[in-house]
Amino acid sequence: MASLRALTAVFLGAFGAATVATGYTTYTATSGAIVRLVDERVEAVSRVLLSEARPGDAATILQGIDAFARRRDSGDIGFELRDARGRRLGGNVIVGRALPIGTFDLREGDGIAGLTAGHALVRDAGGGLRLVTIAETEPIDGLDAARLRIYLIGFGAMVLIVMVGTGAFGLLVRRRIAEVRATAEAIIDGDMARRVPVDPRGGVFAAQAVAFNRMLDRIAALLESVRNVSSDIAHDLRTPLARLHARLTRLAGQASSAEIADELDEALAQCDELMAMFAAILRIAEVEGERRRAAFAAVDVSAIVTEVAEAMVPIATEGDRRLIVEGGGEVPLRGDRQLLSQAAFNLVENALNHTPPGTTVWIGAARAGTRAILSVRDDGPGIAPADRAAALRRFGRLDASRHQPGHGLGLPLIDAVARLHRGTLTLADGAPGLIATLDLPVS
Amino acid sequence: MDLLLVEDDADYADTLRSELTALDHRVVVAPTGPAALVEVERDRFDAVILDRMLPHLDGASVVRRLRDNGHRLPVLMLSALGQSDQKIDGLESGADDYVVKPTPAAELDARIKALVRARAWTDDGAETLRAGDITISPGQFRAWRDGRPLDLAKLEFKLLTELARHAGSFLTRAMLLERVWGYDFEPATNIVDAQVRMLRRKLTADGADDPIVTKRGIGYMLRG
Repeated sequence: MASLRALTAVFLGAFGAATVATGYTTYTATSGAIVRLVDERVEAVSRVLLSEARPGDAATILQGIDAFARRRDSGDIGFELRDARGRRLGGNVIVGRALPIGTFDLREGDGIAGLTAGHALVRDAGGGLRLVTIAETEPIDGLDAARLRIYLIGFGAMVLIVMVGTGAFGLLVRRRIAEVRATAEAIIDGDMARRVPVDPRGGVFAAQAVAFNRMLDRIAALLESVRNVSSDIAHDLRTPLARLHARLTRLAGQASSAEIADELDEALAQCDELMAMFAAILRIAEVEGERRRAAFAAVDVSAIVTEVAEAMVPIATEGDRRLIVEGGGEVPLRGDRQLLSQAAFNLVENALNHTPPGTTVWIGAARAGTRAILSVRDDGPGIAPADRAAALRRFGRLDASRHQPGHGLGLPLIDAVARLHRGTLTLADGAPGLIATLDLPVS
Repeated sequence: MDLLLVEDDADYADTLRSELTALDHRVVVAPTGPAALVEVERDRFDAVILDRMLPHLDGASVVRRLRDNGHRLPVLMLSALGQSDQKIDGLESGADDYVVKPTPAAELDARIKALVRARAWTDDGAETLRAGDITISPGQFRAWRDGRPLDLAKLEFKLLTELARHAGSFLTRAMLLERVWGYDFEPATNIVDAQVRMLRRKLTADGADDPIVTKRGIGYMLRG
């Protein structure tokens, strides 16, 4: 965005400078041309006048002046003839003093009646005579002001149009970019169905939006197929597993000895573990599929925490650990009660399973501004910072816990639940122990 | 029991039929919704096991037709996992229970028996329940064994009430999780077993015999 703004500023600056330069050049060029035209006219008129008389023939020159003055287009030209001693012999203007041969600019102070600005050419008319030819330039100076106005209005309008155009163009570009950005952010938030609006009138932006949307479609399709691979496998394996489970159950009922019955129980437990693993894979797929967001309702995180703690207290007690509910008071949130319960459940399960007997586990819900915080902490050994990312990975199990039951899908599921609620799951050092925090926006 | 299994997947229907037959049920398979509606008119069934996803006429519509035609028999709906919105839809259409495919036949068996038995009594929620020498007053949140009051925590009370409500029938872990804890997921930690152990300890504190029967791989039953 900063570079777009800088580009616009550079463009406008260059355009403004070019406009001013063009205006200035045009102005000076036309001014020079007009002055030159005046000079040429004065020179031509005086030359013609003198060519009609013999050198030094004052009478013929004065007749020529009279004849010229009677012509219709001669109002801006005046003549005066003086002799060698500077005495005025005649003419249709009176110049206050004798002028040497050459060209002069005349001002008001030169005392010529009715003339405020003009050009004078003094020529030798032969025999000591000097012909002064004067052209009024006052109307031209008036024209200068008008020209300046025209330039200002003309070029000003151009500058204004370009500025407004650039602004509108920038706004348009910025709006398209904002649309793309809003879509990208929605996708990051997990709304995979979001697309960039396409202008039905077409154009490059519409084409770009279409291409962008097609890319998103492709990504969504790839994601879907990746998701489907794991859930399809899980799904397809569930049927034979269910059959195996049924068979083992039937056998366990007919076991001929306690030893065989125990073995079958062990096999059944392993079967249950496998089914739980597939259930977790499918559950993650369900959560990531986002359909449950449509069923979000008002829930109280505090109540969820209390229920989970109630359900887990017998387990904690049997394992010689303490489970304590912290805080209290309503922590309202729009969300999925089942998934939040499952997430809280998994967090407590992890804390109980991965700590030594005698550990205390605390679970609590609190409200912090517009966020609901569900946290589970313990005073156990904790997880080394380097291992925390691995713990969040799917099937990511730490070496320390390999001999313990579990499938490494608990934290990824909690993470998916947090993302469904547009929140986060973080693992941090509880000093001592581990603190797992679900940070969820209230609405 | 006489069961009508409505399932378009022939392989799965076959497996389920042989497993349910092994559990002493007589099973008729209908591959489509319309075929199921015909079967229900022709024969008398104790319950219907209905796939949610059927070609032409889906499971929810089949239940609605059944109810509109005045059939009150229990309907157990089956669906693919990971589609909880279908569960709500299925129950709203008039199904009595809902499970995720593939469910072990033993789970289906337990659920159907519970459904059929539940039809035998009406439940206004506040009625006093009796199972053997156990008396429960859900309205007062109190329970007695052989006349002596039991000191039960909230979940223990809910668990005992649910078991007593279906005394004589086995309730599976999944059923108990749904009905006592209200969870639609099965935690890795066996909270049901732990809760049953706690309840058992309180029920047998004074040396009385254990009224809760455990069936391996299936669930629990309170003696009637």
